Amino acid sequence: MNSTTTVLLWLLLLLNVQKFISAQSFKCTETGKCIHKNEKPDNNTLYECQNACRLTCGRYGALWPKPTGSTIIKNSVVHLNPHKIRFELRTTNANGQEYLNAIDEIFLKNIASECEKRDCVTESENEIVIQYAVNVFEDTLTWDTDESYSLAISTLDQTTTVEISSHTLFGARHALETLSQLITVTNGPSTNFENVLIIVSSAQIKDRPVYAHRGLLIDTARHFIPVADIERALDGMGASKLNVFHWHATDSHSFPLEIPRVPQMTIFGAYSHEEIYTVSDVRHIIEYAKYRGVRVIIEIDAPSHAGNGWQWGPSYDLGNLTVCVNQQPWRSFCIQPPCGQLNPINLNVYDVLRDIYRDLLTSLPHETMHMGGDEVHMGCWNSTKEIVDYMYNNGLGQTTDDFLKLWSDFQSKSLEIWDEESRATSVTSTQKPVILWSSELTDPANIEKYLNKERYIIQTWVPLTSPIPKKLLTKGYKLIMSTKDAWYFDHGFWGNTRYYTWKMAYKNRIPRDRNVLGGEACVWSELIDNNSIDERTWPRAAAVAERLWSDPDTDISLAEQRFYRHRERLVDRGIRAEAVAPRYCVLNEGECT
Amino acid sequence: MGLARSNFTYCRMLEFLMLYRTKTLREMEENLLNTNNVRGLHHVKMVALPTSLRRGLVMLLVAMSVIVMFFYWNQTPMKPMSQSQINLVMDKIVKISPPEKTWTYRCIANRCVREHFTNDNAFNHQKRIPFLTCTMTCGATPNIWPNPTVKLVGSSKSLTFQSHNIRLKISTKFYDVERLLEDAFNIFLADLKAMESGSALDVEVQKKNGDPNSNSDKNSEQEIEQITHRNRDCDIQNVDVNVAVSRSDVTFVHLDMDESYNLTIKHGGSSARVQINANSFFGARHALASLQQMIWWDDEDELLHILSTAHIVDKPKFRYRGLMLDTSRHYFSIDSIKRTLVGMAHSKLNRFHWHITDSQSFPFQSKYYPELAKYGAYSSHEIYTPEDVKEIADFARVRGIQVIPEIDAPAHAGNGWDWGPKKGLGELSLCINQQPWNYYCGEPPCGQLNPKNNNTFLILQTLYAELLELIGPTDYFHLGGDEVNLECWAQHFNDTDLRLLWCDFMLQAFDRLKKANKNVIPRNVAVWSSGLTSTSCLSKNNFAVQIWGGSTWQENYDLLLGGFNVVFSHVDAWYLDCGFGSWRSSASEGACAPYKTWQKMYNHRPWEHLHVESTRSKQILGGEACMWTEQVDENTLDTRLWPRVGALAERLWTDPPDFHDIELVPKEVFNRMAIYRNRLIELGLKAEPIFPKYCAQNPDECI
Repeated sequence: MNSTTTVLLWLLLLLNVQKFISAQSFKCTETGKCIHKNEKPDNNTLYECQNACRLTCGRYGALWPKPTGSTIIKNSVVHLNPHKIRFELRTTNANGQEYLNAIDEIFLKNIASECEKRDCVTESENEIVIQYAVNVFEDTLTWDTDESYSLAISTLDQTTTVEISSHTLFGARHALETLSQLITVTNGPSTNFENVLIIVSSAQIKDRPVYAHRGLLIDTARHFIPVADIERALDGMGASKLNVFHWHATDSHSFPLEIPRVPQMTIFGAYSHEEIYTVSDVRHIIEYAKYRGVRVIIEIDAPSHAGNGWQWGPSYDLGNLTVCVNQQPWRSFCIQPPCGQLNPINLNVYDVLRDIYRDLLTSLPHETMHMGGDEVHMGCWNSTKEIVDYMYNNGLGQTTDDFLKLWSDFQSKSLEIWDEESRATSVTSTQKPVILWSSELTDPANIEKYLNKERYIIQTWVPLTSPIPKKLLTKGYKLIMSTKDAWYFDHGFWGNTRYYTWKMAYKNRIPRDRNVLGGEACVWSELIDNNSIDERTWPRAAAVAERLWSDPDTDISLAEQRFYRHRERLVDRGIRAEAVAPRYCVLNEGECT
Repeated sequence: MGLARSNFTYCRMLEFLMLYRTKTLREMEENLLNTNNVRGLHHVKMVALPTSLRRGLVMLLVAMSVIVMFFYWNQTPMKPMSQSQINLVMDKIVKISPPEKTWTYRCIANRCVREHFTNDNAFNHQKRIPFLTCTMTCGATPNIWPNPTVKLVGSSKSLTFQSHNIRLKISTKFYDVERLLEDAFNIFLADLKAMESGSALDVEVQKKNGDPNSNSDKNSEQEIEQITHRNRDCDIQNVDVNVAVSRSDVTFVHLDMDESYNLTIKHGGSSARVQINANSFFGARHALASLQQMIWWDDEDELLHILSTAHIVDKPKFRYRGLMLDTSRHYFSIDSIKRTLVGMAHSKLNRFHWHITDSQSFPFQSKYYPELAKYGAYSSHEIYTPEDVKEIADFARVRGIQVIPEIDAPAHAGNGWDWGPKKGLGELSLCINQQPWNYYCGEPPCGQLNPKNNNTFLILQTLYAELLELIGPTDYFHLGGDEVNLECWAQHFNDTDLRLLWCDFMLQAFDRLKKANKNVIPRNVAVWSSGLTSTSCLSKNNFAVQIWGGSTWQENYDLLLGGFNVVFSHVDAWYLDCGFGSWRSSASEGACAPYKTWQKMYNHRPWEHLHVESTRSKQILGGEACMWTEQVDENTLDTRLWPRVGALAERLWTDPPDFHDIELVPKEVFNRMAIYRNRLIELGLKAEPIFPKYCAQNPDECI
């Protein structure tokens, strides 16, 4: 028996001898970096792989975005067996149950993705118990939703208990996302060179976002972005705690959104009958988003940026619903081809808008909408005889002010219709504010003439140095900010624009003002389709996410390692995020300054 | 049951011990689980062994089986976690080019105009014309990228056919050429079949969703019926492709080979005849690439179309048409490299410059010096074995491409070269990972080969020999030789002129290359342009220079006047990595912003802009786009490369008149580029769009 044991040990050694030769480890430095060491790992300060080191190194370990409240992550871990995770729900509310079940599934899928490229073994006897304490079970996310949570991990014997307490379901979801980032795969002597999941055995985290509106805009009109690709974007948003999917669904190029009451919109407006978001697609996306802590705000851009999809009016005896459609030379009628601008004097336009709003509200009964309102080209209306005649007959001239009047009338009518339709579907009687892009109409000098500050939230898309946001704030308007020279992710590939690195996106600070709801990164899709949407969006949108969730005032070098880790996390979860540094620099933190 | 299982295990174990020594426990287990018979027993009986050894082996067997069983029962692979919830929307797959049933296209004044296809159209028995069918037959000439140079005419009519009706006939007296041609033709055919089956997905999906009662027999019957039915509907029942290669038996790319070809399509009755005449395999292969671009899928007919008549006479303007990929800053899988080669072949590029190593990592696994990859690869998975290199070289050759490996030296060599002292070979490289890096190298991590260690050169020579053997004969080899940092060496040597050390290094490397190449000097030994190429160190008779500095720099003139053969890779036009900002934490700007748009790459025409004398133009071998990968990995390779590399391909093959380096290209080029880009997507490359889809559907409207 003795000799058998010897042989056994000898064999074990033989099998692993190759692996034992390279004594490698990672040391967590005082500055929170994991650096490569040519020494054998120990149980204390020398970790057997980078992931294991990163998990607990530095105050925030591998968390992205970093929590805003007290954060303690102890550097001890236990093996995790995903088959031995138990969720304890302290609720009998059906609504809450469904939501929690869904996020549990996503959580399990996310930790499985850590093992995506490397099979994991799960021999551990440790049990993980995740206990929820949630106060309210409302599953509609608004600007007033309390997204805060606290998370406590403790381990006793073979049981690790995770206590999650939050006011809302969304807080619980964020907690679970944080928890998934306290789990990773290790591989080294301690696991016999197998991949094994580990979880931090002791941690206390309190966390709440700085801004309520943490958005990502995706334009699905310049190119159709298939549902599966939108899902991936939502996965990334959930991983980064972004919470608003601003869906720029339509533009003058195409109208891919199915409107059951007005089927002509997609028949005439979609690139093809397959490049359409059906009502069930839209509902699926809304639901998919909800379980990732994301609300969906749909934008039907108007009166400009509306052409294809609206051009059927004359053949249905409704007159010109839109004018200047696809008109050439386009430079005289719009900012970008193809042209198209709604015809504000044709009352049939408002009937179509009503039908569109009604259909949107069927899918999103509690949500507001984005009405667009950018880049109205006066030259288009000014060159359209029926509009010019109408203005003449109604005592308007042809000055910029007159066209602004025409535009603001259009806007008021649209809002009125929206309110009527919205009242019909919503249980609450309060009028929801809608969102508009900053434009000539929102010029701080004129805005009060045209737009009521209680009813309109302005999304600014001006450069960092522009005084406009501040002026609008002074006048009491609520803002969502998309700093054009930091958060426009399509820049750098056309004209004189430049690319903004994740660091530039990260460094862009927006005012801390109760009227600044938050911000949005924008992915305009003129030069982006499903082949490249992941890399244009990620990991840069995650940099924006930490800005909006944590609004850190610390040096960016402290974020770098966590950011690299988060990028790998996104890749593991199936997102083709761009590489931001040579792999050497990712593996050797702090070496590539 | 349990007993039977262990008996079986013992028998299999012996096999494992003898055959699978190196396999991990995990793999062994999989083998165990996959075996359904007891063949192993038979195997054991066949082996005659001395008793003592046998006893020892039995002991081992017992021990091993205990271990295996122990591990087997104690671990569960955890991959398949509940995925079912997540796959809810898989029913909606948008295909590469979905049929656009709401639109029909009409050719008006050489331009395809999109019109709404309504029930009225159908009622009047008007047929929907898909965009491709319209655009391929509308306009003066067929849409081929890169544009043929001598003659290009094509019919405005097309014929329907099916890929299984294509027949190949090769006439050449060279056996090796014939074999390569067959391979190239099979690739061509496979691409056509992919067009057909890619679109058949539509039918599949409809079937799945549509009729739940239909059984599979019925389906396959229907399919056969469909095929024969369609066959009857085809304009042509036979497509005969005759390929004649007359003059050259060459099967490896070299500078003087004849890549020209002559292609005609004719038809009569129910057959079409394609005649391809070329002087070499490479010309014939290019002809197939052109032929492929005159064939497309019509989603209304659900059949392939081919132009009914066409005539192309074509040859490239430049002999060297390259793309460089850096596999050191990030590792790229064999698959992604192959994908890149597919795109190159479709664009008639002929040199794949493989910047295989750099200071960051050393992924090439040398047979003789495995330490290089062992210490230098990012992980044991991120390596290229000799077999991998061979596989890639072969994959490339049949696509008309030569692989040119580069082990950059003496600079850009650090990680992977650090084991010398351990093995008694001395310091092979200096300054490895030294900080502050900006004193000792151009970008972190540092590392520069030791010019005074003979072992360094010995290893280089071995690497050269290995690589040369794997990639086959070549008349062009790359030694690297860029960005030497003299400060690094100054720490170790007190030579008065460190530049001489650099010079000596390159000459020594050159000498080693010659030795590695059986004492034959490759006709062009390339180095990157550098401070050294501005001195008299390197001879124009032995070296070619890849110029990567600015397109207006003095070195352009100096090197040409100095008589060097050059390949242009100007950083301000043909660097694909520019424009993504700095990846280092302390720098805010990237080195070579802005991003080079495809128009910029297209309009770059250094031989014109430098006013090169005609007597010197022979020295310009061609050009190469460079894909440095600090900020690119496998996830984003395709989009960084394509379709921009195509713009370079047309510049080098066709060299059309330029527009003085401004970012403006003719409408015709825009439209042809859009079609080319779709072809790339069809071939499986994630090429970027060049404008909104609206603009692709409405030619000329957005320009």
